[in-house]
Amino acid sequence: MKSENGFYGQFGGSYIPEILYSSQQQILTAFEEAKNDPTFLAELHKQWQQFSGRPTPLTYCENLTNHFGGAQIYLKREDLNHSGAHKMNNVIGQGLLVKRMGKTRVIAETGAGQHGIATALVAARLGLECTIYMGAKDIERQYPNVFWMKQLGATVVPVTTGAQTLRDALDEALRDWSSSHEDSHYLIGTSCGCAPFPEMVAFFQSVIGDEVREQSMAQFGQFPDRLYACVGGGSNACGLFLPFLDDKDVEMVGVEAGGKGLELGEHSIRLSHNLGQPGIAQGFATMFLQDQAGQLQETHSIAAGLDYVGVSPIIAHLAETGRIKMTYAMDDEVIAACTLLLKKEGIIPALESSHALAGAFKDAPNLPKDSKIVINLSGRGDKDIFNVAKAVQDETFPQFLTDYLASYPTNHVDNKEQNA
Amino acid sequence: MSQLAAFIDKKRQTKPILSMTHVVYGYPTVQESLDWMARLMKEGVDFIEVQFPFSDPVADGPSIVAACHKALEQTLDVETCLAQLGKLAKDFPESRIVLMSYLNPMYRFGLEKFAKRASEENILGLILPDLPIEQAVDYRAACEKYQIDPVWLVTPVTPKDRLAMLASQANGFLYCVARSGVTGHSVHEDKAHENNHHTTSLDNYLAEIKQHANAPIGVGFGLRERAQIEQLIGKADIAILGSALLDAYNRGGQEEGIKLINALFH
Repeated sequence: MKSENGFYGQFGGSYIPEILYSSQQQILTAFEEAKNDPTFLAELHKQWQQFSGRPTPLTYCENLTNHFGGAQIYLKREDLNHSGAHKMNNVIGQGLLVKRMGKTRVIAETGAGQHGIATALVAARLGLECTIYMGAKDIERQYPNVFWMKQLGATVVPVTTGAQTLRDALDEALRDWSSSHEDSHYLIGTSCGCAPFPEMVAFFQSVIGDEVREQSMAQFGQFPDRLYACVGGGSNACGLFLPFLDDKDVEMVGVEAGGKGLELGEHSIRLSHNLGQPGIAQGFATMFLQDQAGQLQETHSIAAGLDYVGVSPIIAHLAETGRIKMTYAMDDEVIAACTLLLKKEGIIPALESSHALAGAFKDAPNLPKDSKIVINLSGRGDKDIFNVAKAVQDETFPQFLTDYLASYPTNHVDNKEQNA
Repeated sequence: MSQLAAFIDKKRQTKPILSMTHVVYGYPTVQESLDWMARLMKEGVDFIEVQFPFSDPVADGPSIVAACHKALEQTLDVETCLAQLGKLAKDFPESRIVLMSYLNPMYRFGLEKFAKRASEENILGLILPDLPIEQAVDYRAACEKYQIDPVWLVTPVTPKDRLAMLASQANGFLYCVARSGVTGHSVHEDKAHENNHHTTSLDNYLAEIKQHANAPIGVGFGLRERAQIEQLIGKADIAILGSALLDAYNRGGQEEGIKLINALFH
């Protein structure tokens, strides 16, 4: 979606410290040129195909459809990307742009670690130095992802300020960029931040919706009646929705994280239910979860990837104008939806994507039998093994962990030596 | 002429360089921060730069970030802060107050109301480092209306035409960031290119600014030694002391802070 000077209605813009002005201008120019350069686009599609395995399938879910007895249910299988999530579409795009700009290092923030891993993968492939900022608390919760980032050669920096989660990691990435802008690119993971990041990330993610347009026509002879996507930062939703923006008959539903409840601090609902307020922070204007005094607040979701205090200015604008309908799913509904997909279709969804499933499953029984819905399965759930095991109260898992720990060698090699 | 620039011009008749000392409002408590501001003004600093804390201060380094987060363990209120600063301004007429914050708390307070109330409390300048001049049409109009100076920042990597534009827009003073990066000592420092620290390049940068700016020049970011202040004499009007002062305060309270100021400016 094209912005007006970086703005989408009242949202978006560029609110960055002066020190970043030149770097931001460089990205604006480089992106504007790259997206109109057939050579760049050819390389992008080649990398998407050869490195990430695109196009991803559109999978018909017969069992789920029969189970609900309403709409025909299809999944867009972004979980089948290399690295297991849609994040790959964006990091490949920005990675190529970094090479084009002649920079040698990338910085990224990560919450759950998915964007961190995707960035580390691309940095390794393109020969870029890579530093990932991650809240110290998130590092504790998501250590397996941290392990892989380090193995891929990235430096993972624990952020110990504030709540020590994604928001603080983003602040710290901006601080690094303020110092390192001459040779580093801030490879932001979602369609947030100062212009042109929202537009650029949405552009690279729009391959999702572009493929669904072709696949839906080929597989069922029409565009979908409804699209569902979870909304954390908003990049997978932008990717699925934006190519259908002008197709007025295609309805769009964004699903936010209801977490444990609607009290401030218990959820990550910025758009539905009037829980967020307009604000300007972290480089852009959008709806933020904040207190009366404009201080940003803590958030919660069982899915770490949805646990963000702001939201894409593009999604905020489309929600405000009514083009996208926003709803939310609670943690327990999300686990139920995840479990149902496992049992009915043999697919392991990420907890983030399970929000989109939960939102769609609520509507499916009440939709006409000939209607078609497409749910964006933005990521696979292997990474959530610990959280899901805990949520379904698996009896054997604690014993497995105890036994594994007992057999773990104690004189392990220091990571630095290992990397040397 | 702006009140801020007039004050600087007058003070500069007798002093080679003026001091602006930074204090985080509410750190470690509101009362202690007000006591510290009063002490600084009593000791004769020319300006205090008061930072109203924000949860996500992206232009600041670890010392100021930690102080802001500590301060925000209390509920802080913009209106109360402005009234308290107003009282300090009255009590210490020989010094002036500049208020710094990030955009969001002031956006929620109302930018026009912010300019109006700050002006009413005799605050002479406002600094919002994440509000670029291009996005500031309404805010600039409000500042103009209430006769308070918005302070714009320039950096060593600001393009020349933009630097000229920002310098020409400055009235009270122009805030010249001395190097890339965030305030104070930070882990990111070594990522900035060496030449940003280089003496001659700072001289050239300030000379370039002088060509375009009618307003006085303030320099901040990374100042913590007397030699750095001496280097600025004749090239700038104000030396801004932020994280170094906070670090001294954290080490040994007010006395340690005053010791640093005396070592740097006297």
